[in-house]
Amino acid sequence: MHIPDGILPAQVCIGGYAVTGLATWYSLRHINRKKDPTADIPKASLLTAAFFIASSIHIPIPPASVHLVLNGLLGTVLGYYAFPAILIGLVFQAIILGHGGLTTLGVNAAMMGIPALVAYHIFQLRDRFGRRLNDRWFVGIFSFLAGAVGLGLAAIVFFILVITTIPSGFDVDVERAAIIGLSLAHIPLMLIEGTFTALLALFLLRVKPALLNIKSEG
Amino acid sequence: MKLALDEYAHINSPIHRWETRSKLIGLITLIFAFAFVKTLHLLPAMLLVTALLYVASRLPLSFLLMRLRYPGYFLLGVVLLLPFLSGETVVWQWGALTLRQEGILATILITCRFLSIVTIGFILIGTTPILKLINAMRSLGLPPLLADMMLLSYRYLFEIANDLATMQQGMRLRGFRSQSRKGLFIPNGQELRRLASLTGTLLVRSYEQSERVYKAMKLRGYGAHSQPLLQSTAAFHLRWEREAGSVIALLLMLLVASGFVIAEVV
Repeated sequence: MHIPDGILPAQVCIGGYAVTGLATWYSLRHINRKKDPTADIPKASLLTAAFFIASSIHIPIPPASVHLVLNGLLGTVLGYYAFPAILIGLVFQAIILGHGGLTTLGVNAAMMGIPALVAYHIFQLRDRFGRRLNDRWFVGIFSFLAGAVGLGLAAIVFFILVITTIPSGFDVDVERAAIIGLSLAHIPLMLIEGTFTALLALFLLRVKPALLNIKSEG
Repeated sequence: MKLALDEYAHINSPIHRWETRSKLIGLITLIFAFAFVKTLHLLPAMLLVTALLYVASRLPLSFLLMRLRYPGYFLLGVVLLLPFLSGETVVWQWGALTLRQEGILATILITCRFLSIVTIGFILIGTTPILKLINAMRSLGLPPLLADMMLLSYRYLFEIANDLATMQQGMRLRGFRSQSRKGLFIPNGQELRRLASLTGTLLVRSYEQSERVYKAMKLRGYGAHSQPLLQSTAAFHLRWEREAGSVIALLLMLLVASGFVIAEVV
């Protein structure tokens, strides 16, 4: 789900940086409104590193295996820190693994980071449904949605960008069909990502609710 | 997974000696100029500039080849697909398999652009210690929160990677292994749950460690005056007499970069 260097024209790359700059500014503005913005920096940083490492865990789907994007989960756990966290994670993926790229950093960060913020808000939505915050069902359902939507949005943006910018002789209709087709093909992956996010959120709810910003029961 | 970046950051070469901020600006500008390239006759020049810079950096070729292994898969995908799918002019046909001219040209363009940009990126990373790089970005206006986060996550990357390796080894020793071969395309529920617990444990451990790190940092005065970890070095000014080489290199890079953009536009 990373767009590498060399594929996108420079205009799109610069546009991506502009969007990412805006989203970073927006996130930082929210973070700086906190009483002590530095208090959460170690937590956000270590979790950034943990997510970077965790994204190398492969989920076996016979006969192959996929690795997860985890951007929905990042959103649910880190809130507004998710965007800087994804940006930094992508920098490291680009410079350490050569996964993604430096020119496409802006595009990739926007593609995965903005859905993460959306996922965060989806997960927060569960507050609207009754007061029983710790209800396992609510946490499960909303983290599933957060994970699935986080990946789904990223996949749609990915295919739109790649298919419309790769020089090809296809006409508009074929391209549109390809985008819709490839996005539909991602629905099973959305389900897996959602399920994984839900399982993980339930695990955290059981073991360390503070990570989900939920006060522990009793 | 090889995480360490600084392996060759302490060799002596013109690129290593290049002052970090001007190197950052120069090489990033060059990368973007390369992203602008669309005409095929600029490609040899682009590859030549890249090769010259790589030779000047004195990084061993194995460094580049090792780092290109992973992105190479992507390149393979492009080379295997694009020439057959994209374009109208058929060059060669065998049954349903058709090789198309536009696709081949697009493949050449993407491959060259990709190789050049990635190589320049690795020159930048390979010749600069990461701390210097973050410091340079900080003094060029990177928000302090981002600089702190980058520094801390890079610092703990290695430890968390070790944590994961230990835990995975533990799982294997207790008999966990990917076994399900029956349900095609359906992940095994139990396996998924165990991997979720593994990831969750990794997050919880990192979180708990971060609380200890935060307390230790706070004791040393972190956050007291909302001071970031890295003080931004004085404004971006270079001393001519000491850094003449760096300034000339920067100007040269900007010249080359604008050369590519102008050649592309005209």
